[in-house]
Amino acid sequence: MGMNEEHVENDLGEMNRRAFFSNSALGMGALGGMALGSLLNEGMGAESGWSSPDGQPHFAPKAKSVIWMFMVGGASHIESFDPKPALNKYAGMSIEETPYKDVLTSPYLANERIVAVDKNNGFMRTEIFPLQTGFKKRGQSGLEISDWFPHLGDCADDLSIVRSMWTEDSNHGAQLAFHTGRARVDGFFPTVGSWVSYGLGAINENLPRFVVLGNPLAACCGGKEGHRANYLGPQYDGVPLRIDPNDPLAYAKPDKSVYREEQRAQFEALDKLNRMAAKRDPHDEALRARIKSYELAYRMQMAVPEVVKFDEESEATREMYGLDKAKTKTFGEQLLAARRLVERGVRFVQVFHGSNGGAGGWDAHGNLKTNHTNNAAQVDQPMGALLKDLKQRGLLDETLVVWATEFGRTPGSQKSDGRDHHPFGFSIWMAGGGIKGGVVHGATDELGYHAVEDRHYVTDVHATLMRQMGLDSHRLSIPGRVRLNMEIGSPIRQIIA
Amino acid sequence: MRSDGLILKIFGVMGLVVISVHADAGVGKVDYVRDVKPLFEKRCGACHGALKQKAGLRLDAGVLVMKGSEEGAVIKAGDVRGSLLITKVTATDIEDRMPPEGEGEALTDEQVDLLRRWITQGAVYPEDEKITGDPREHWAYQTPLRGEVPWGVKAEAGNPIDAFIAARLRSRGLERVGFAEPGVWLRRLSLDLVGLPPTVDELTTFEAACAKGDAAAAKARQQVIDHLVASERYGERWGRHWMDVWRYSDWSGFKNRLRGSARHIWRWRDWIVESLNADKGYDRMVMEMLAGDELAPLDADTLRATGFLARNFHHSNRNIWLDNTVEHTLKAFMGVTLNCARCHEHKYDPIDQEAYYRMRAVFEPHDVRTDRVGNQGNLLMDGLARAYDKEPEAVTWLYIRGSEKAPDKTRAMVAGAPEVFGGEYEVEEIELPLASYFPALVEERREASLKALRNVLNRAEKSLAAGDAKGDGANVVLLKLKRDEAAANLESREARMRADVAKYFERVEGEAFEVLAVAAASAERSHSLAAAERSVHEKRTALDKANVDQKEVDEAEKKPSAAEAKKVKDPVTVAKGALTKAERALKTAKGAVKNEDGKYTSIGDVYPKVSTGRRTALGKWMTNRGNPLTARVAVNHMWMRHFGAPLVENMFDFGLRSPEPTHVKLLDWLAVELMESGWSMKWLHRLMVSSETYRLKSVVADGQIAEANRAIDPDNHELWKMNAMRLDAETIRDGVLSAAGSLDLTMGGAPVAFLEADGSRRRSVYLQNAYEKQARFMVIFDAASVVDCYRRSASVIPQQALAMSNSAMVLGESRKLAGKISGEVEGDGGFVKAAFMRVLLRRPTKEEFAFCVEFLGAQAGRLGDAGGLTAFGGGVEATVEPADDPVERARENLVHVLMNHHDFVTVR
Repeated sequence: MGMNEEHVENDLGEMNRRAFFSNSALGMGALGGMALGSLLNEGMGAESGWSSPDGQPHFAPKAKSVIWMFMVGGASHIESFDPKPALNKYAGMSIEETPYKDVLTSPYLANERIVAVDKNNGFMRTEIFPLQTGFKKRGQSGLEISDWFPHLGDCADDLSIVRSMWTEDSNHGAQLAFHTGRARVDGFFPTVGSWVSYGLGAINENLPRFVVLGNPLAACCGGKEGHRANYLGPQYDGVPLRIDPNDPLAYAKPDKSVYREEQRAQFEALDKLNRMAAKRDPHDEALRARIKSYELAYRMQMAVPEVVKFDEESEATREMYGLDKAKTKTFGEQLLAARRLVERGVRFVQVFHGSNGGAGGWDAHGNLKTNHTNNAAQVDQPMGALLKDLKQRGLLDETLVVWATEFGRTPGSQKSDGRDHHPFGFSIWMAGGGIKGGVVHGATDELGYHAVEDRHYVTDVHATLMRQMGLDSHRLSIPGRVRLNMEIGSPIRQIIA
Repeated sequence: MRSDGLILKIFGVMGLVVISVHADAGVGKVDYVRDVKPLFEKRCGACHGALKQKAGLRLDAGVLVMKGSEEGAVIKAGDVRGSLLITKVTATDIEDRMPPEGEGEALTDEQVDLLRRWITQGAVYPEDEKITGDPREHWAYQTPLRGEVPWGVKAEAGNPIDAFIAARLRSRGLERVGFAEPGVWLRRLSLDLVGLPPTVDELTTFEAACAKGDAAAAKARQQVIDHLVASERYGERWGRHWMDVWRYSDWSGFKNRLRGSARHIWRWRDWIVESLNADKGYDRMVMEMLAGDELAPLDADTLRATGFLARNFHHSNRNIWLDNTVEHTLKAFMGVTLNCARCHEHKYDPIDQEAYYRMRAVFEPHDVRTDRVGNQGNLLMDGLARAYDKEPEAVTWLYIRGSEKAPDKTRAMVAGAPEVFGGEYEVEEIELPLASYFPALVEERREASLKALRNVLNRAEKSLAAGDAKGDGANVVLLKLKRDEAAANLESREARMRADVAKYFERVEGEAFEVLAVAAASAERSHSLAAAERSVHEKRTALDKANVDQKEVDEAEKKPSAAEAKKVKDPVTVAKGALTKAERALKTAKGAVKNEDGKYTSIGDVYPKVSTGRRTALGKWMTNRGNPLTARVAVNHMWMRHFGAPLVENMFDFGLRSPEPTHVKLLDWLAVELMESGWSMKWLHRLMVSSETYRLKSVVADGQIAEANRAIDPDNHELWKMNAMRLDAETIRDGVLSAAGSLDLTMGGAPVAFLEADGSRRRSVYLQNAYEKQARFMVIFDAASVVDCYRRSASVIPQQALAMSNSAMVLGESRKLAGKISGEVEGDGGFVKAAFMRVLLRRPTKEEFAFCVEFLGAQAGRLGDAGGLTAFGGGVEATVEPADDPVERARENLVHVLMNHHDFVTVR
């Protein structure tokens, strides 16, 4: 049941008031591997021979935390990290008329699992649409990055770009699939962040291990299941935080009338009364867990608002993240919060950009140029700032940064000035946490249609980060819960330093 | 587990084998049971086990492995090269390799190495290894029989449940602990049966009765049980349990677009609550949920039951819809994972892929429709979501490998039930009454619709008369057109109704009907024409007005800004467009009037006249006395909720992965008891809660009995004591509201919107419970997932602590309750005692009492010193303001602390 009798005895025995209310109960020492929230979950595998993870990595980790940025709606690979000059050359022509017409009969097309064909989705888009922006070689490595991402381009030598991603769902259910590894039609499964949260102990007991920033996915595309733990149990769910020191978390504060001293005395009294009950029933594990959960809740209540108090940051830092400009403020605040969270030991920070209650902000079926110019301008400066900031603080080595999106966009236009959904080949990038810098891995064909070299299904990203975190996904599986190999993926070894 | 080198481990719970290989694999002694057997089971078991023996080979027991296949021995002890098995698993040619393509990847090097070493080391296995028998002989596939109750010595005997429990305790050398205090038992019982704590009065009355001796206590217990089982709150409490199992979900969607479940599905929830309160037989409930439309096609109350099917509606894909229907019908009612046979034969149970599609064929014809309720014609506002057979002729194909893209058009599936469970699945087609397949033709509905149209006409006549009187010429033209339209509408409805009545009621055919049909069609077209004329007139007037307005704007030179102009279309253009459209419609209507055919629109939807009867047949098959699973599964669900742990661990899988439970005799006895009581759930509840086992303590101080028991059965599988349980989300929320007397006991109706849940006082069973739309307080306490929930978890997480200490509801209710108590008792001491009783239904211990009195004093002092207090800042407005008086406020604080106490959220 994950409760180590000996540890609990120690915890309860040694815990005094000072420790209870201390904000500095850092480290894994006295708490062993016991992680925030892994207190008790009676629903799961109580049978002998199996126990939940002990919170220790399976092998030496390279990274301690992950910042996972997800562009909701489908960012164009062709106009971000995978330039295709052929599109300019053949603009306006049908794919059949180009030398690359084979893409339309490729066996890779069979990977697609169309959920619903409607007027917007589910068709081949064969009329080639030219690139909507230019590219430059950036950094020592000369990585090609589109002109929409100048700040990120400054960090080119820290990036590993993977240009050969593919996914199954040609509709926005792919958002969920990117987080669970399973198609939306298969149902709901634990997400990548929850596996990390489940597998690793907390570094900081005062904060949730898995935090979600930005609007969650919309109901159409997986909704909150995009950051939930499903069968692992609610203690491994991503905890959504708002960038608002007054209201950062559900029930984080009592109503306005309550005084701090008043509540503190209540927590102390409750602790005392629960301990009296524990003396009467020393075998009640749930009671021990509850005592602990109140200690953690009290500390979380104090620690969480502090994370989003940006007045502690220097003017220069705030400017670097773009907090002073309307366009970059929202994402800038989220990434600054992300840095503050990993700095404090949070394991997994999932940041959504562009979630708008529907398919997502990057879903540029029409007017791609305006759409992507705008979206890129919202994220570019903050992303550059994050990488530079992590680096200057010496955190980039132990923080794995992931940039992803559910799929790319079609090389052809949709008889408009936009591109349709494209699951057959697209790009992501990673940085830090033991990932090589200045590297391009994998490739799509000349048109950017199919991933043709070193193809990677989305869970290869999961497997890569799990490996860097020191976890073997196969060892985390739970009795009675079959995990497909595809759900686990394989590490992308070529980009690991 | 890290020092052993190669480690293979069987996870017992559900039989899945997880294999982990340590880095230094390749050394050390191989243990057949620990290492080899799980490997065979995981990688080879599907084709070479008890269920199937391809090439005559079984690999699920050592002796069978050595026996070999049709081709002879596959293992030669000590001789790796001579062992065919090794040749097979290492074959590089995919044609020769085992496992074959499509059945699994090649064995890993470590796995092959393990087998090699096992062979080298002599291929030893334990002689007493048990060989699994024919899967058809699985315990759960046999009809349950009522075994003899193992009455022991008199002192142990309560009711038969106790006798079964006692027999097991004796056999394992366990000794049962004592009974819980009467107050503890009463709180347990009340929370269990009705989901609400007893009142303090009920508690003290009960305690007083129990103090009068054993006989009086027994009588008092019986009275309380009778009272609670008869309470309407019972249906709400147990209704919520069954809503978990039957996947109750309110409709989900984006704006008005329905994506899942059905609008007004809450009528099904009300049916569940009412049926339980009426103690409708479980068999009948199953029947009505599967086929209420066939059993009682005209009974709106019964039709609600088919919400069980309507709930599976899925907007984007019919296959997902039917897959869910098949999967969860079988899991919920029979504990069968038929869904595992969608793509291939079931890996564990003797169920082939055809069985899956035969079951799908049972549901293939059905669909969901919304019937009118009363006079509400707008089905978005209200209606009755119900199942019916929409396409009796729909064909079910077997999907090759489960892929909807690959239907096998040579294999049309006939509806049927898996043979391994026995029983007859017999279909009889059902002829439906007119009111069911053509509801609009029912006399009441016909009259109501004519009455409504007559009212419209009357109003139009009156308006016209008034307009004439005023002499408002321009308006009179429109009023006249409206009157004509209303008259034409009434005539059209009457004519079409005459034709429909003749056709469907009086069975008029041929020329006689044709005359009526032509008249109906003609009246319908006249109505269209009248409507089009009125519309054109209106649109033209609107355009005239827009032209005048435009002129005014131009004259005032008030040009809209460029941005505004872009947003708002020029009103004249809009009006012109509307007029053009209306004129087009008028032209069409004028042209149509010349037609003389008899094509008219019926006055309402007409559905098929027959229902296939397949679902009725399924219900009968499931609830037949001989069905081995239905009653057992129901008993297991009830038992788990009463006793805190199920008899069969996996609630939805009683197949081969569920080994025979330790209490199988008890389970079977109860299953037979359920069936023989007429499937009365109330009977079974009484039996369970009036047992002595149910009266046992859950808190057991250390002592000889406890220590001995813990050494033998630490997890209390044998029920030597009662299990303590965390309350579920509903009971916690309802408990907070009921402690302060705030709970609103209104029953039934549309759900409380999830965003309004924090402010609602209704019972939690009535809160919206839809995909993405669940109250956050409930979710934090492990509310049922709307996708499936055969068993809730009972987690303990810090977010729960935050919810209990910071939610405005818990704070507000604490303040209210403190005020009440202060009005009833004197002094801090009296307050502490009363607060414990009201919140925790028990008296404080001496230590608790002293501590709480001290707390009240200290806290009042703290609150009285305004200088030492810091506001939290932020947060929501208080729903109930705290008291001004520090003494009183300290009391509010104490009540709030007790609401957060472990004992409040726990059943002892």
